[in-house]
Amino acid sequence: MGISQRVITLYDQPMWDSIARGRLELQQCDSCRRFRYPPGPTCPHCLSMDYAWKEVSGRGTILSWVVFHRQYFEDFLPPYNAVAVQIAEGPIVVSNLIGEEPTGSWIGAQVEFVYREHSGRMQHAVRLVESGGGDPPAR
Amino acid sequence: MPSGKLSKVAAVVGVGHSDYVADYARVRAGEKPHDSYGYASQAFRAALCDAGIARNDIDGLIVGPTTSYERLGEVLGLNVRWGGQADAMLSVIEACMAIESGLAEVVALVYGNDQRSAAVSYGGPDAQGAAAFLSYVYHAPWGFTSQGALYAMMFRRYMAMRGMTEAELGEVAVAQRLAASLNPNALMKKRITIEDYLASHYVCEPLHLFDYCLINDGGVALIIAEAGRAKKMSQRAVTIHGVGRCDVNEGATSLEPRLVDFYLPAQQKAAAQVFAMAGVAPSDISALQIYDSFSVHIPLALEGYGYCGVGEAGRFMREHGISLAKGLPVNTSGGHLSESYMQGWNHQVEAVRQVRGECGDRQVPDCRFVHYSSDVAGKAVSIIYGR
Repeated sequence: MGISQRVITLYDQPMWDSIARGRLELQQCDSCRRFRYPPGPTCPHCLSMDYAWKEVSGRGTILSWVVFHRQYFEDFLPPYNAVAVQIAEGPIVVSNLIGEEPTGSWIGAQVEFVYREHSGRMQHAVRLVESGGGDPPAR
Repeated sequence: MPSGKLSKVAAVVGVGHSDYVADYARVRAGEKPHDSYGYASQAFRAALCDAGIARNDIDGLIVGPTTSYERLGEVLGLNVRWGGQADAMLSVIEACMAIESGLAEVVALVYGNDQRSAAVSYGGPDAQGAAAFLSYVYHAPWGFTSQGALYAMMFRRYMAMRGMTEAELGEVAVAQRLAASLNPNALMKKRITIEDYLASHYVCEPLHLFDYCLINDGGVALIIAEAGRAKKMSQRAVTIHGVGRCDVNEGATSLEPRLVDFYLPAQQKAAAQVFAMAGVAPSDISALQIYDSFSVHIPLALEGYGYCGVGEAGRFMREHGISLAKGLPVNTSGGHLSESYMQGWNHQVEAVRQVRGECGDRQVPDCRFVHYSSDVAGKAVSIIYGR
């Protein structure tokens, strides 16, 4: 068993650099203005290759969550959670919920991104900002 | 829309596989009976014998993803005029395409995998499959790893959106274990109940141990021949009546197709193709084989391929039934959960044997059509086998 590793392609590096500065920047398409995740060379919606790195709002909604009961990495001791968060800008990002947990279903809970050190790197997690809030419509 | 051109152009004339049960016992005892090439060789020899043909009759070769094309061809002594490498379901479609186009007449499909004795890992720092599916490794910094976790994330939301319960999902593991108890080739023959399922531990909550496939060594082979030649070769040829496919790639790494619509549009498009090409409907299907790396695939396929309405899979499984004892028989060998994890290959063998009527205690009565479906990572593939 080893520790968890990041996948860092040419396009991921600026995102991880922003996370190291305590913010999340993603590529916004210059043509259709959509954000994409993971980072990549083209806009999957309009195929434009022109983009700018923009800081996202840091707000999102939990779409789903799991709790690991088996250990896969030295740096993640079970039980621990992972959440799929749809950020306000559209993309779905996987993270960890820290702090208070919702009672009952986590789906629809509003969260904000926070940044912390983990295994010698900075990365994001999310925490609750308020309870409930409903689920965004399917796109 | 489907042209129907691949309907009934080819038939399966031979199937074979390694001895899953004996090899599982040997591997657990610390032995290494074979490597992937050895298992593939055993399966190929068995399929040739089952077909009753000579090696020289084969002019096409497709090997599975876990062996080298050239090396396996070398090991089996096969020079061919057409060949390739593909997973179980796509290799069947590609064989039909090669036969229809005249590039080959008799195609061997051969797979071997020593994943258990080679300690292949599907989660953690060395998770397999990263080259093909970025989602398998991209979220590792948050501890989110293993294909089971991807399906757990999907199923958690599916339960909330479609109104299904963990106990209803348990119907899958219970039904498939019943089938396995009647299958001498199955690794896990002890029957379980819904109570056993709910009492089993979580691996990645909400999925329990019994929702996960086995990991074992083995090999599978099929011989597919042009329909006219197939009839001359064998009285037991099983015809491929239709195929369908629809791949969802957009948003795959960020899990959109899993979390937004649960692969439904891809399955519906593949279903429209396969049923139109075969000229049959879900009500004509005698048994259903579904790729089941995780039990979650079964309710998704039941809804996506039109065996029940969207949002009805939980009730369908509980009330109508998906077992040999009640309702629509699904994964009649025990599938990946209880027979053997041969990555879709053993499902093709079971489909063929059910249509032939060779399944003994687990035989589906008057089995006319068997539908195979898979939706691995949102790539929906469908095949209908029949007499």
